[in-house]
Amino acid sequence: MIANDSYDKSFVEKHCNFRGAEADTPTLQGEAISEEEFRKRIAKYTPEHVEELSGVPAEKSRMLGELFGNHDIRITSLWCMGMNQHTMGTAINSLVHGVHLLSGHFGRPGDAPTSLTGQPSACGTVREVGTLAHALPGGRVVAKPEHREQCEEFWNLRPGSISDLPGYHTVKMFEQFTKPTAEGGDITTLFVQVTNPGQTLPNLNALFNDKKGLEDKFLIVSDVYPTATTQLADLILPAALWVEKNGMFGNSERRTQQWFKMVDPPGEARDDCWMTIAIAHKLFEMGHEGMQDKNGEFIFAIKDSDGREIPIWQFEHYYDTNVDKHLFEEYRLFSTMKHKNLAPYDEYVTARGLRWPVVQQDDGSWRETRYRFSEFDDPFVTKGQEFEFYHSSSNDGRAQIWFHEYAPPPEVPDDDYPMWLCTGRVLEHWHTGTLTRRLSPLNRAMPTAYIEMNSEDAKAANIRQGEKVVIESRRGTCELPVWIDGRGRPPRGTVFVPFFDETKLINNCTLEAHDPFSKQPDFKKCAVRVVKKSEGKVPS
Amino acid sequence: MSRVVTIFLSCVIAMAVIGFFIGIGAGVPKPDGINESSLVDLRSTDSAVVDSKLVPALSYADIASTLMGPTKAWQATPQNLPQPEFDLYTKVEPSEAEKEASSKLRASRRAYNGAPPIIPHPVENTNDAACYACHSGGVKLAGLKASVMSHEYLANCVQCHAPMAPAPFQSIDATVESTFVGLPAPKEGKRAYKGAPPTIPHSRWMRENCNACHGGPHGWAGMESTHPWRTNCVQCHAPSATLDQMPESEVVPMLPPLDVVTAKVGAGTPQ
Repeated sequence: MIANDSYDKSFVEKHCNFRGAEADTPTLQGEAISEEEFRKRIAKYTPEHVEELSGVPAEKSRMLGELFGNHDIRITSLWCMGMNQHTMGTAINSLVHGVHLLSGHFGRPGDAPTSLTGQPSACGTVREVGTLAHALPGGRVVAKPEHREQCEEFWNLRPGSISDLPGYHTVKMFEQFTKPTAEGGDITTLFVQVTNPGQTLPNLNALFNDKKGLEDKFLIVSDVYPTATTQLADLILPAALWVEKNGMFGNSERRTQQWFKMVDPPGEARDDCWMTIAIAHKLFEMGHEGMQDKNGEFIFAIKDSDGREIPIWQFEHYYDTNVDKHLFEEYRLFSTMKHKNLAPYDEYVTARGLRWPVVQQDDGSWRETRYRFSEFDDPFVTKGQEFEFYHSSSNDGRAQIWFHEYAPPPEVPDDDYPMWLCTGRVLEHWHTGTLTRRLSPLNRAMPTAYIEMNSEDAKAANIRQGEKVVIESRRGTCELPVWIDGRGRPPRGTVFVPFFDETKLINNCTLEAHDPFSKQPDFKKCAVRVVKKSEGKVPS
Repeated sequence: MSRVVTIFLSCVIAMAVIGFFIGIGAGVPKPDGINESSLVDLRSTDSAVVDSKLVPALSYADIASTLMGPTKAWQATPQNLPQPEFDLYTKVEPSEAEKEASSKLRASRRAYNGAPPIIPHPVENTNDAACYACHSGGVKLAGLKASVMSHEYLANCVQCHAPMAPAPFQSIDATVESTFVGLPAPKEGKRAYKGAPPTIPHSRWMRENCNACHGGPHGWAGMESTHPWRTNCVQCHAPSATLDQMPESEVVPMLPPLDVVTAKVGAGTPQ
């Protein structure tokens, strides 16, 4: 586009900045660079050079360049984990946004890039609510003193009670948990809710299985069914499914949705939220300072209309009030700083989900925003601007067009491990299959994990359809049946294995190298070899 | 004579031994092993000659390696599968036992009533047009019946309808033990009075085409309507008030009241 002079000059001039990574220690924010500098840096990445590095044919890059250079068409770019789970995942995402910004394919209906990560509730209860180790609710971070102060005020905490030290990210957290205390493993107790790390962590032998036999490490797992994670749990808490409790979630579409409990959970299964409150109250009773607000009261205290505290930490009283509503009304306070405004709880009860920012109108009704940053729909865009990327990292309402240098993968196939391994999902099973593998029609449709191979590779290795083979990496092994030229028809030199099958754990083989910013492990590429079962090691 | 027999038998044994060792050797791929033809479109074969009606003669040696398919002339004409005659007025009187068997078969293909039925035959999941070819209007062929899709506006069939296991994994036992029992399939709707048309006992979302199950040539055995010639079903059978939820509305859309000119009160007209 730059070479063809077909990029959208007026959009770039009015709404964009250029940005690159710092030379010494790159940060998420990067540093401003001039357009000249951007042109200079990107000049060497000609379609031919890109073909040399990546194998993507130069003509395809040119075709895309011409497509994006055409402003009369509208282009939607959508992607899932194939782009995100790399050591350069953040970089790839910012580059794709950069292509859309540079070409002006942004902010018109049907003209934008979007990462499809909004599984309930990765967006709503991880990013928005701020459950990540460095984050606080509503787009705040523990590193900023003013953010900590605001949270202490909303939560009525003693000033200074929120630490400015981010916790460990997931990979580091499990490293510290599975490392013996004597060797510096400083996490002794881990409470796992709504996720199955015993199957989804990369390099399971290093990050999870080492927990076995460590007497002073305590793993609490709350789940609906037995999973790979509960196998090593010291305490299993049976959890209620989503229809068995009240709830609220947010998707990547920015839509917040509410539902009420529909059936009672079986046996002693309980809401995750109740478990958290019950444990917090136990700690409060034990005198733990962190569970008290600045008046010495329980941090989750909910009072009835007479000012008496409702003992919601006792399950028989949990549904005496709508705990969700109390928590959500408190959380709403946090949402206005970054203009991600939310409506009151009761509005979500009657609406079929609302996309933030939800803003109250003069007539008292609440209006959702379908197109963010575009003046025609977003009430927070300054009139006359057409587009405004408010709260952008450069604080000037402009979006960043990033430049990133190519960086080689953390592990590349060699003579010992000559194949690329890519892992992922299949249509029939959701993630680790804890629910879908318990459903006959779905389990029959996809009864096993497999290794998908190119027919030429299979022929060369004398491997037959359906034969069991052993896949080996430097970290572990996994035994799988072969599917030659299956759904994905992998190119030569690559194999694909889905990760849903807890009886065939491909994450024994994957690499724990991760993106420095998103901390996403590189599940999409590492070096492996495929050997016939008779020639392979015994799988671990 | 016995010598001939000995020579003959030793030849047989020798061939069997050689065959055995070739067989157990790893060098012979199973025909199924590297099956490149499984997804090849037969029509793309370039063996058809220029004159579309001529089929080239082959030597016996070439037959095994030649893809055979419909000729160009045949491909050029749209073909309709001959369908059995359907008499709209045939009396439908399934017995209770037939109804029971039919509903059991129906239930066996779903995780629970209301769940999308599985695909009970192999598919080569290459595109949705393949599903539409038989299921858009329904087909009867060789004792099998392709049901009619009642939601043609939803493409991407296998997103909901689980296919059979991929060919290499079909021998795997994938039975799942489960104590889950879904709601039973509804048997009949409510009647306002004896003889009144029953209400529709299921939701109509994705089941707008009543004939997909209840009538016509491709209906589900035991569920057929006794009067398929009456085609506007909801004119008499009311949708379910609890299952067919429309967005709630405080104002029931009604025609505005008629603008009737009435005489003024007190002008001598009786009220």
